[in-house]
Amino acid sequence: MSRSTNSKIAFAHLTSRVKQAMVAMLSVTFGISMYVFMNGFMTGVNDTQTDLAFSTLAHIHIYNDLPEDRSDLAGRFYDDSHLVHIRHPKTIQYTEGIKNSAKIISAVEKQPGVVGMASQVNINVFFKNGAAKKNGVLSGIEVTNEDELFKTSQYIIAGSWGELSYRNDGLVIGVGLARKLSLGLNDNVVVVTDDGVSRNFKVIGIIETTLAGVDNAKAYIRISSARQLISKNQSYVTDLQVNIEDFEEAQKVASTWAPSIDYKVESWMEANGQLEAANELRNIIAVTVSLTILIVAGFGIYNIMNMTVNEKIKEIAILKAMGFESKDIVQIFLVQSVIIGIAGGCVGMVLGYLISVAINHVPFEVATLDRLPMTYNIEDYLSAFVFGLATTFIAGYLPAKKASKVDPVEIIRG
Amino acid sequence: MEHTSLAVRNISKYFHEPQRFQVLKNISFDIKKGEFLSLVGKSGSGKSTLLYVLSTMDTDYSGELYIHNEYLTGQTQNQLAAFRNLHIGFVFQFHYLLPEFSALDNVMLPALKLGKKSKEEIKEKAVENLRLLGLEEQASKLANKLSGGQQQRVAIARALINEPAIIMGDEPTGNLDSKNTQIVFDIFRQLAAERGQTIIAVTHDEEFAKKSDRILELSDGKLL
Repeated sequence: MSRSTNSKIAFAHLTSRVKQAMVAMLSVTFGISMYVFMNGFMTGVNDTQTDLAFSTLAHIHIYNDLPEDRSDLAGRFYDDSHLVHIRHPKTIQYTEGIKNSAKIISAVEKQPGVVGMASQVNINVFFKNGAAKKNGVLSGIEVTNEDELFKTSQYIIAGSWGELSYRNDGLVIGVGLARKLSLGLNDNVVVVTDDGVSRNFKVIGIIETTLAGVDNAKAYIRISSARQLISKNQSYVTDLQVNIEDFEEAQKVASTWAPSIDYKVESWMEANGQLEAANELRNIIAVTVSLTILIVAGFGIYNIMNMTVNEKIKEIAILKAMGFESKDIVQIFLVQSVIIGIAGGCVGMVLGYLISVAINHVPFEVATLDRLPMTYNIEDYLSAFVFGLATTFIAGYLPAKKASKVDPVEIIRG
Repeated sequence: MEHTSLAVRNISKYFHEPQRFQVLKNISFDIKKGEFLSLVGKSGSGKSTLLYVLSTMDTDYSGELYIHNEYLTGQTQNQLAAFRNLHIGFVFQFHYLLPEFSALDNVMLPALKLGKKSKEEIKEKAVENLRLLGLEEQASKLANKLSGGQQQRVAIARALINEPAIIMGDEPTGNLDSKNTQIVFDIFRQLAAERGQTIIAVTHDEEFAKKSDRILELSDGKLL
């Protein structure tokens, strides 16, 4: 009974100064909509960045690392009482690439969470067209698996990706590399390996990813053609690219696989620390800016509720004289700020959504983007609402507490 | 003690600002049930201060305060608030109604806070109180649209809603013309006589005081 009485008084206070209540509400609305928008935008940017990065980068990369340091070979067999000195040591022979790939592939396939895998034979070569010569990477790939993992086919700007799967002499080349070598579709290009083997390929596709490492220095051929080029058997692979369900988990997954695989198992974070750092930094900026805005909104509510308390101080005194307890007074004023918070929060979420949609339509034709990126995560909206409500609660509680401490005698006697 | 409504023993009180000063000096008296009592004295004699001690709102005193044989000195603010809600009605010089509420809502407020009766019963009772004070026409008007005399009568109706044993007034007629003063006085008289409610009113209106059952006069913080 007394609860509804308190709410009734709270409503009367709110409706008696609609303008102030609206201003307080708008500040919450603004804060929450900015929170929603900032987080949506930053997540959008991060997602785009990640998508772009994962167009050449797998979640987990298995390869044969460079041979370990062997300059102190003899030291392992003699203790400190012997002086060992080997002049000019060099590695005579080491295993390149992954020889027994079938075994590793079947081991990895059995792991939980693996969603895709592609074998590659990557070779450093020279691309030649007449006198024009350019070094780069020739990537022998499994056409369908590669596309599943990296969606490479969507970056084709001329020719076709699919044709690679049945053309042994077909080659898909980066747009920058093609330009430097004056190559167009259906032109021939000579590939020369470091062992001096050369072979003719026909350009059947041109690719543009906006990543310089791909566009200016990479070409794709069938994996069997690549093996043939360097005289390796059918199970020879230089790199195994694996995608898992949740790329955030890559580091953990990589470290659990590492003991059972003889080769280097590397997560994308390990290879590209700057990507993750940039994502984290953008998230920190988004949260900092939006929380600052919410705190400013909180000060607005604090200010307005303080004014209300001062304005209504005689009524508070009389309510206390009539037997309203401190907690009733706190409730009366807290209900007001919570109503402001809820109303402002709901409008703020809608406004935040509208701003997000509007920003999402702004043309932004850079790299692979044509509009500014945006995400619409329900979690962002909910956390904005919760933060907004928490801010108004705290901002409303302080004046309410002050109101509850009013000494009725002092006020009534004047 | 059977018929004692309120009793005080050795009440003393000091003001600490601007300097230490004793406002009330060893005051002791009893008030019977149904008594209509006026507290009089010059400005600064401590009569209002005494009333606020009696009202339980001011707890910064030494001595003992009993209402209905209940020892109230030293109880917490929230206990006292609940006690006031049930047993004491207030009428002040300035009426202090909630301006956003109608006269009827203002009258209902203490009873809604008490929460012992249903809303319908409270409303019925409030309308009855307003009728008693000749305000049934004004029930639905907003409090700040009423005249001063009407507002004071609404405040009295509000003080009566929980049927308190004691009604306290701080200059209840201080702001009213003689006609309205007479109305308020008659209401108090009637309440004391017919309902056995104890009335304690601080006043500087000699006419008003003379007509009451008993006058307590304070001078320099002492009972004369």
